[in-house]
Amino acid sequence: MGEKQPFRIYKRLRIASSSLVVGWNDDASGLGTRVTDYLVKKLGAKDFAEIEPDGFFPMAGVSVSHDVVQFPECRFFYSRKHNLVICKSTPPRTDWFRFMDLVLEVAERYCHIREVYTFGAMVSLGAHTAPRTMLGVASSPEMRRELGAYDLAMDIDFETPPGQRPTLNSFFLWVARRRGIAAASLWVPIPFYLLTTEDPRAWKRVLEFLDRRFVLGLDLSDVDREVEVQDMRISQMASRSPLLSHYIQRLESNLQLTQEENEKLVKEIEEFLRKNE
Amino acid sequence: MGIRLYQQPSLHSPVLIAGWPGIGNIGLIAVDALRTMVEAEDLGEIEPWEFFYPRKLIIRDGQLDDLEFPANRFYYKKSEKQDLIFFTGEEQPVDEGSAYAQGTKAYQLANLVLDVAVKFGCRKVYTSGAAVALIHHTARSKVWAVPNAAHLIEEVRSYQNTVLMSDIEGRSGQGHISGLNGLLLGVARKRGLDAICLMGEVPAYLQAFPIPYPKASRSVLEVLTEVLGITGDLEGIVSLAGHTEEEIDRLCESFPQEIKEQIDRLAREPLERTSEPGPITDEDKQRILEEIDRFFKRETKED
Repeated sequence: MGEKQPFRIYKRLRIASSSLVVGWNDDASGLGTRVTDYLVKKLGAKDFAEIEPDGFFPMAGVSVSHDVVQFPECRFFYSRKHNLVICKSTPPRTDWFRFMDLVLEVAERYCHIREVYTFGAMVSLGAHTAPRTMLGVASSPEMRRELGAYDLAMDIDFETPPGQRPTLNSFFLWVARRRGIAAASLWVPIPFYLLTTEDPRAWKRVLEFLDRRFVLGLDLSDVDREVEVQDMRISQMASRSPLLSHYIQRLESNLQLTQEENEKLVKEIEEFLRKNE
Repeated sequence: MGIRLYQQPSLHSPVLIAGWPGIGNIGLIAVDALRTMVEAEDLGEIEPWEFFYPRKLIIRDGQLDDLEFPANRFYYKKSEKQDLIFFTGEEQPVDEGSAYAQGTKAYQLANLVLDVAVKFGCRKVYTSGAAVALIHHTARSKVWAVPNAAHLIEEVRSYQNTVLMSDIEGRSGQGHISGLNGLLLGVARKRGLDAICLMGEVPAYLQAFPIPYPKASRSVLEVLTEVLGITGDLEGIVSLAGHTEEEIDRLCESFPQEIKEQIDRLAREPLERTSEPGPITDEDKQRILEEIDRFFKRETKED
């Protein structure tokens, strides 16, 4: 018996050139899941492949979230009209290099991808109503120049602080560069008090970039409505609590809260939004 | 999955000496000290990305500059008495939730290390690690030696300040060597290479502390230099061991009185390594460890 192939192909595609967008489904505020699901739905993308979880995830039972069993997945979708490949994946728990190399292997072999985009959340100490300036990190000078045409902050110098580890997206950027594929990782700020709930402004910011970059023609008015609904819910909550209203006003005035105030705000907003889901 | 060799020296039956991090970093310190002592040269490395998660990202002006991984390096030294190859790994490839290397990645890494050794004609391997023992930190650490073949037992018996597993009270020659410092011995045996693991004793009450214990490394180093016929200055590691002992003295001063008394008993009544009943009972040992564990959990919460 030969070695089992670590991926399954449902449909063999013949694509001359395409781009790959990768979203991780454990991102803060559900960023990866919401963006990839939105793209798949709005573009009518069809799934064509998946990577087998064995070897990348501990197969020791399953976790349960929101009353439902969870299981790791890494699925590929394709929009022929837009030459766009979308990969929605659980982040691997081990053998990271081989997993990400395999994602690129599938996308290269079957869709001839020429560039890759990953996106993730970074914690913001600002208010949810503040404008979101997205950061971009490129894998090459050419990609750096290309991203310059978009509204991204790219004048970044950074080194991982001692005791911390690089993100999976940064590792992915390096793996792509090693395979000679142009790559970029995009970082959208998410207010600290929305990290464990939802932040439609963040999804919108990523979608706006992808819409422009790939000329997708997305109508984001439905996301705008989600932004309005959330703003309204947070306003309702603030109107019932003068203290939380005061906290949010201070954040909107670019004033920072104390650690204790931060924690109180996070707790109150999480509880309120969950109750009103 | 690759090996990068920077040069191809002509070596005569070199001995491989390998070390990875572990309790007290005994092996890593000993191997590094020996490598520095003989002024070994760079030989090559194992490409790390298939084994390890990166440890550092560097971005310059919005562009990925570099991603640094834990290093896995080979060094060599040609000499009239004995050619040497050194290998040091900055991390062990661990699965989530595991403290030591295990599984496929560990086995692959062990084989890659031996691939390089065998390529240069190596027939013998030494690894080094820690042996957790009921000793006081002012005592000289003995070295527990475990060979990977029975014909090496007599050789090990001739080493200074060294005991076999069967010499340790209550062990009957049984034991377990965690991680790559142990796994390499098994893989070497499978490939027909002689191998010996030298483990320096670390006081049991220090095993949970993320601090090096160079006193045990010194004991390992003394054995290695004698066995390999290396004459060199041990002043560096002697000084380091002395400095660490002073730090541990200060640390012990912060322990609750009851724990200090238990630890002081170890200094006054060193545990016999024979089958005779020792002055410190298993119950005593368990109580010391539990008390220390509770003490530091409390300290952590209070930080």
